[in-house]
Amino acid sequence: MLPITHVIPLTTVRRERSLPAAGTVTARVNEKVQAGDVLAQAEPPARHYLLDLARALGVPEKDAVRHLRHQPGERVDSGDVLAGPVGLGRRTLRAPAAGQIVSVGDGRILFEAHGEMVSLKAGYAGIVVATDGVQSVTLEATAALVQAVWGNGRQDYGVLRVVGGGAADRLKTEDFDINLRGAVLIAGTCTHAAPLHQATELSCRGLILGGLGSELIPVVRRLPYPVLVVEGFGDVPMNAAAYSLLVTNAGREAALDGRVGGLYSHQRPEIIIPMPANRQVSLPDEVIPLQQGVRVRVVHAPYHGAVGVVREVLQRAVGYPSGILARSARVDLEGIGTTNVPLANLEILQ
Amino acid sequence: MSTMLEADTLLAIDVGSVNTRASLFDVVDGKYRLVATGRAASTAGAPLSDVSEGVRGALEQVQSVTGRRLIDEAESLIMPATAGGAGVDVFVATTSAGPLARTLLVGLMPGVSVESARRLAASCYLDVAGELGLMDRRREDEKLDTIVQAKPDLVLLVGGTDGGATHSVLRLVDLVGAGLGLLPDPEPPRVVYAGNQRLAADVTARLGERFPVTVVPNIRPAIEQEELAAARQRLSDVIHDLRSSRISGFEELRQWSGGNLMNTADAFGRIIRYLSQVYDPAKGVLGIDLGASHTTIAAGFGGDLHLLVRSDLGQGSALPGLLRHSTLLDIQRWLPIEVSEARLRDYIFNKALHPGIVPIGMEELHLEYALARQVARTALELARADWPLGKDAASHPLLPPMEPILASGGVLARAPRPGYSALALLDALQPTGIATLVLDPYNLTPGLGVAGGPLPMATVQALDSGSFVSLGTVVAPVGRGRPGRPVLRLRLERERGETSEGEVRYGQLSVLPLKQGDFGKLTLRPERGFDVGFGAPGRAGAVRVAGGAVGLIIDARGRPLQGPRDSGRAHDLNQKWLWDIGALE
Repeated sequence: MLPITHVIPLTTVRRERSLPAAGTVTARVNEKVQAGDVLAQAEPPARHYLLDLARALGVPEKDAVRHLRHQPGERVDSGDVLAGPVGLGRRTLRAPAAGQIVSVGDGRILFEAHGEMVSLKAGYAGIVVATDGVQSVTLEATAALVQAVWGNGRQDYGVLRVVGGGAADRLKTEDFDINLRGAVLIAGTCTHAAPLHQATELSCRGLILGGLGSELIPVVRRLPYPVLVVEGFGDVPMNAAAYSLLVTNAGREAALDGRVGGLYSHQRPEIIIPMPANRQVSLPDEVIPLQQGVRVRVVHAPYHGAVGVVREVLQRAVGYPSGILARSARVDLEGIGTTNVPLANLEILQ
Repeated sequence: MSTMLEADTLLAIDVGSVNTRASLFDVVDGKYRLVATGRAASTAGAPLSDVSEGVRGALEQVQSVTGRRLIDEAESLIMPATAGGAGVDVFVATTSAGPLARTLLVGLMPGVSVESARRLAASCYLDVAGELGLMDRRREDEKLDTIVQAKPDLVLLVGGTDGGATHSVLRLVDLVGAGLGLLPDPEPPRVVYAGNQRLAADVTARLGERFPVTVVPNIRPAIEQEELAAARQRLSDVIHDLRSSRISGFEELRQWSGGNLMNTADAFGRIIRYLSQVYDPAKGVLGIDLGASHTTIAAGFGGDLHLLVRSDLGQGSALPGLLRHSTLLDIQRWLPIEVSEARLRDYIFNKALHPGIVPIGMEELHLEYALARQVARTALELARADWPLGKDAASHPLLPPMEPILASGGVLARAPRPGYSALALLDALQPTGIATLVLDPYNLTPGLGVAGGPLPMATVQALDSGSFVSLGTVVAPVGRGRPGRPVLRLRLERERGETSEGEVRYGQLSVLPLKQGDFGKLTLRPERGFDVGFGAPGRAGAVRVAGGAVGLIIDARGRPLQGPRDSGRAHDLNQKWLWDIGALE
């Protein structure tokens, strides 16, 4: 079974969006939402305080609790009186920040300070199909889908625009102009930092690349917009299927999700381009058997990024110039011809 | 079923992050022998998140090679074996697949229990996300935030010798309880308590209602005594439970194996410990497993096992972690050709994206083995800090005498010629004196480690069978000299009759033909200042040596190995060494 990468012009995309902590979901099931709509909000805890209630009030531990003015779980603002006043000096204990009392014991209060409000945005236009009511919302849309191999962890959405001279073209600062302001850019490869900073200056909302020089990873992680790499690291052109699908949709709004989930996660960096829905389309396949006629892409040199069709899955292992024997397939690669490729160097492209 | 042996057929499965391997052993001429192996891509990761598919793929390969039916119509393993020759008698499994458990280490004394906890964590598949200790100077609320930010799947709580500190331990337990209570996750973290056993009931009483608590033997029963093995075994069970809750199929493996399911590293270490009890007690035994997601170093000294699992070092998804320990220049020094830093870095990050890729051209092959050398060398250096004499590592920069050295991992197993693996191991590990390099091409070691429980005879006999590839005996004189200066004279009298004699000079890497299964009497006369392990520099001696896929290797390149600073000369030398060891045609 080979891994699958989805590059699909029209499919049903169903994704769960989650807050980092429990909060309030405002979206309702069957509600139509736009990319910028807020679906849910939460105030994840910023930090905790252990407040010495007895000492602050100057009372014995056993008496301290009866001076409390708020119960655990009750929301308070910064400076609100949590307990007291007590005695002639009217001693009080005030909340160190907006938050809530978690628990009280041994004359001490465990206080949780709320962090900044976090909003969960839809990210792409679709319909809410499920929610747990407190933390997660599942959205569904008819869309084009392009999966990538790496992202810088950021998410945003914007209108797709093509920059540069094609899938193999290296991104240059002179490729940029004012018309690209606020757009999601489709480019070839990037091996220098200058164009990335140029995109920041133009307030770009995202960048989709075939290949990225790996020395730029630290730079890209700091960029304010999502960067998605479709093929891999180095001067690797984007596969023809993905590039053509993205370019065809230039002018449409696309959602970029640059989060990388790792080997054991279903999360993959991806580009979702919502489409008008005239009919019901199926979800992408998660398992496709490798056989004659299956579309594949090569994920390693010498044909990294090439797309082709399996002509035959070879029964005998094939020897390569490195001297290594590997189970292989005979593949008709677009623009290259028919060649043997180790199965380990292939992904199924749907 | 054989009358001499407990069972006839043994099936071992190892589920790795990239590959799942099946190995079938059967009794041939009264001894256990490897009959067939199968390999399939692991399916522990997305999208399936179920190891069963990979396991069945590997079993199907074994079935097709042997014609022996292993799975019945209900998709279950046929066990015990039937009179008709289907199924197996004993099934064992090992695994290193699955996400690492985020772990909070909580201990009393830095340098004592905390240090032991770190060592225990480093020998398991854990990701240490935070640490708390009694001597920690942070405020209590800051410690609570440490627990919250760590978001642990598992808390490893240690401290107190048996019968020792109680109050301090319980204070930490209460703090942990308060911190864990703040976690929003509906899945409560597991707590493993490996401290003062007199407090076990108190710890369970204080935490057990809210969190599953597992009490394991104290890893520091006395200040001067560290006991990791028993705790590691129980901790592994907890790690398996965590894995099973996230990835399907492990429970089925556990049922099939009747509980004989172990962490791959534990099982690997078990074999190394066993070998260290049966081989020369004056030497250690070294094992290295170069996996895609982990590198395991196991060293046994007279039954005392030192096990290190590095999840930031590996030949696949863990490869970028190497750059936290090494520079690109450190890797480039192992290359026989010029490769730019950008190309090398891109290769590392692409390999992490696609861990299973096969190198097609020679440049990629050289990159693979250069990376393997640096990963192995780095892991070994980290592991040695914990070995006897580790504290004096600066004054003992050389690897202590090891016999044998057992190596496994995809990159070594699939070498186009055995010389590639042999040279990579020589460069990375730099053995001293006389050692045998043994390769486990089918990754049998973990399975045999588990089988040591239900079928000890299978383990002993399979280790002795031809399933492991001896790369050869290595003679590596220790001493410094000028290139070209004589280092030793040798005489090899092969038991099949032929005799070779010669002189080896400093800087030379030479191979004398001695095939796997052949033996010879090797007489060594080192020059003054060179030690081959006969007790002192310059002391001569004779030893019976075994042959291997490469032959008898004389590595007189010096210890520690120091290559030229000039990159062009380094490339030429690496190329020459590949020729000398027979890796190139």
